[in-house]
Amino acid sequence: MIFNSWDYYLLFLIPASICFRLAGPRLRPWVVFASGSLFFVYFSYTQFGGLVGVACLAIFLWECFVSRFYRARSWICWLGIVQTVLFLAVFKYRNFLSGLVWPIPSENPLFWRHAFLPLGISFFTFEFIHYAADRYNDRTEAGSAGEYLAFILFFPTMVAGPIKRYQDFLPKLRAVSREWVTDWQRGVTSILVGLVKKFAVADVLTAYTNHLNRADISQAHRWILPLWLLAYGIKIYADFSAYSDIAIGSARLFGIRVPENFDWPYLRTNIAEFWRHWHMSLTSWLIDYIYIPLGGSRAGTGRVYANILVTMLLSGIWHGAGMNFLVWGLLHGVMLVVRRAWRQLRPLGPEPPAPATVFGSWLLTFVCVNLAWAFFCMDVDTAIFFFRRLIIG
Amino acid sequence: MAKTENDKTLSAMDWVKQALDYLGGACDEAPSGFPIALGNWAFWALWWAGLTVLIYVFSGQSSKFIYIDF
Repeated sequence: MIFNSWDYYLLFLIPASICFRLAGPRLRPWVVFASGSLFFVYFSYTQFGGLVGVACLAIFLWECFVSRFYRARSWICWLGIVQTVLFLAVFKYRNFLSGLVWPIPSENPLFWRHAFLPLGISFFTFEFIHYAADRYNDRTEAGSAGEYLAFILFFPTMVAGPIKRYQDFLPKLRAVSREWVTDWQRGVTSILVGLVKKFAVADVLTAYTNHLNRADISQAHRWILPLWLLAYGIKIYADFSAYSDIAIGSARLFGIRVPENFDWPYLRTNIAEFWRHWHMSLTSWLIDYIYIPLGGSRAGTGRVYANILVTMLLSGIWHGAGMNFLVWGLLHGVMLVVRRAWRQLRPLGPEPPAPATVFGSWLLTFVCVNLAWAFFCMDVDTAIFFFRRLIIG
Repeated sequence: MAKTENDKTLSAMDWVKQALDYLGGACDEAPSGFPIALGNWAFWALWWAGLTVLIYVFSGQSSKFIYIDF
């Protein structure tokens, strides 16, 4: 409810982007810090955790303080990574993980009845870890405290990405684009198109996707079930790509370009290509900070498959604290492994594939991705019930 | 080398994708042969007006964005 509210545009985006453009180079990071802090406080107070949510601004300040001690090959970088993962574990996974041991909340001594998520925690976690890891590996300069605060509190991307990289962001912060007219023309266009996708596509499809519950599935005709799931597949794409469009457009008003997140993923003809074009900033983060440190593609075949599965399992559980998200991640991991094994068995020839093959590959990818959404939007029992009704009747 | 029918179909699809990206604000450069320049303010004003009308017509359903923390 942030990007589709007037508050966002009138109180934050327009004033902050104009102040940022008018400020001198030394002042700019502090404009981003001040506006990002106010944004965090305002939307935390009104939507995410109230006063306790507001207090979570301290996480950013603490992270900035610790980050000043990061050096190449320093254990403090590891400390930064561990504390960031702990923040995420406490806020997002405490009830889920303790629920695995004590399934009944009233008997769970660790159950957090008033659990809430600090605004954007799933996404700022990625940026904190990226910075700590890259400082450890000496892949980025430290920048000043103000610049780092501007990086982590840049509000257009704070809540749900795209996930930025410090090395990309810093030069843009230091030398902001001077093409006001082009930036605002493109930025406003992106924001308007994003809002159309959200309101006219994603929200309209909610009428159909709301039926993805056990009661409606048990009463519906079989033929309508795949249509509801297809509606969900289109909705989640329209919804998240709309969000990304608005975030990217908003950043553009500041004169800062942030990474693209979607590049026509549903037109891709295999699952690996799909992931290279769906939530691209997440995929590249997972590759750089999970898959490659695990050994990537350089290990033996079995190890590579294990690396893929672990990476996708983590991707799944990151999407939500629930068994269904684990299953969803695992399904995608299995699809990536199968695709890789198939390509090893049948390498591509020098000739481009025939149109029928391309079409068949596209259809297979599209169907598999959309069937897997069942585990994203329903709990495991309901999703299995959905497939049982779909297949058996 | 002469282009096959397959190549032509693919390049036509790429052109449409690029044109849509351009209209959506995702890229600054129009595909070759696209008739609308960035400086054509009459077109962009109309385009924004059309988008605004769509937003107005469909707004008010107030559902949250899916990907923001569940």
